[in-house]
Amino acid sequence: MFKHNANYYFGLSILFCALSYAQTPSPSELPEGPMQAKAVTACTECHEARIIVQQRLSKAAWTKEVDKMTKWGAVVEPQDRDTLIDYLSGNFPVDKAEYVAERSRGPVAGVKKK
Amino acid sequence: MFSRRDFLRTASGAALAVSASSSLVSWAAESSHLAIPGKEDLIIRSYRFFDLETPVEFFNTWLTPAQHFFVRNHMHEPSTLEASSLHLSISGEVEKPFTINLADLTKLEAHAIVNTLECAGNGRAFQTPKVPGVQWQKGAVSTGRFSGPRLRDLLERAGVKSSGKHVMFRGLDEVPGKVPPFIRSIPIEKAMDPDTLVATQLNGAPLPRHNGFPARAMVPGWIGAASCKWLTEIKVLDKEFEGNFMSPGYRMPNQPVKPGEAVKPEDTHPVTTLNVKSLITAPLDGSTARARALDIKGVAWAGEADVTKVEISTDGGTSWKAAELGKDRSRYAWRMFEYKWKAPKAGDYTILSRATDSQGRIQPATPVWNPSGYLNNAIDQVKIHVQA
Repeated sequence: MFKHNANYYFGLSILFCALSYAQTPSPSELPEGPMQAKAVTACTECHEARIIVQQRLSKAAWTKEVDKMTKWGAVVEPQDRDTLIDYLSGNFPVDKAEYVAERSRGPVAGVKKK
Repeated sequence: MFSRRDFLRTASGAALAVSASSSLVSWAAESSHLAIPGKEDLIIRSYRFFDLETPVEFFNTWLTPAQHFFVRNHMHEPSTLEASSLHLSISGEVEKPFTINLADLTKLEAHAIVNTLECAGNGRAFQTPKVPGVQWQKGAVSTGRFSGPRLRDLLERAGVKSSGKHVMFRGLDEVPGKVPPFIRSIPIEKAMDPDTLVATQLNGAPLPRHNGFPARAMVPGWIGAASCKWLTEIKVLDKEFEGNFMSPGYRMPNQPVKPGEAVKPEDTHPVTTLNVKSLITAPLDGSTARARALDIKGVAWAGEADVTKVEISTDGGTSWKAAELGKDRSRYAWRMFEYKWKAPKAGDYTILSRATDSQGRIQPATPVWNPSGYLNNAIDQVKIHVQA
């Protein structure tokens, strides 16, 4: 029973990954700027841009985040650190309008529900 | 084995190669939303990896259906989840460490609890000043009937030594980069509580994969982070586990702090039980009512305590009227509530809900600020327009 369910879900996830991957916003949803490419490689190796673009933080808070993530494996060369912090705090400051998240799809017609 | 991440890498190349001419891609592009198997209509706080918030309109049943049950991941989900190859080990400060497979786990006597599971960071988005983290608004919470063997039964089989003071959980989630693994521990007293489970089922069906299939810890009344998903290791320790997700993660200041103020690690304690809290689920925030007579509905919970009262205000908090509490109840589970109200005239209204619990706790008017934005249990509010 469990095996059936695991396979069922795995099969479904293959199908849905195929269908949905094309819709996944590309990392380029990070705004243009001198550090866009660096942010893509340093940050989105582990998590997607959504995690970044929903934040509204002060420069001090962005600095703590960049330093924490660098410790956790984000590759940020020392000479890029300050510019990356400027890029993030400039694009996602505390007074920027609220990020509006999208929803996952509702029931899909024609797809068997568990 | 072909892992999910391998698949995504391959898919990414494939998607570029086939371009929009592929029927698969064009079909997908017609849809306005991302599809997540088994999870419908949820607010996507993160897609890779999944952090999915339940819109409050789905809290219109006592038990939250699996497809609407919120998802909080700290890491990537396990690439492969083969139920037949899963083994759960119980070790550490025990007399007889052992390993049990899923088939044998599901043969053990099962116990069921109904638990309102809430992420410690639920409501973080409403903190001022803003704090970093997943910007959950109202719906990083859901209620389910969880069942599976008691954790205590497994621990007693292993024979906990007198040195065993805390119980650590490790899941199969996959750690990116040099990120510390998501490992936390709970005190032995809570681990031995007869309601603390190794849950294998949600609402009478196997756990959904995004909610921890095939087995997860279920620590009722406590923050969701205590209930480790995709459980593979239980280890009895002689002290609290030392790791990022015990400290500095998931800790609250010992004393109230001014918003924005830094807090020293030694002045904090682990976040454990949930607060008293309520949410208005109808009418929806920002909605227009066509009639003046309205059913104000919602849910209220209090972790290990009981909700004793929910009050509604329709005049900005000047006066409060008791709502009727729903019949469905279980320790650790939210109560539904309802209040029938007739707006005196057409216009704009703010509706507030405020819960009180058996420990005498009452929801505060504004969020209690802390550096990580945990346990925001401020009075809920929705703004509506009444037309008629």
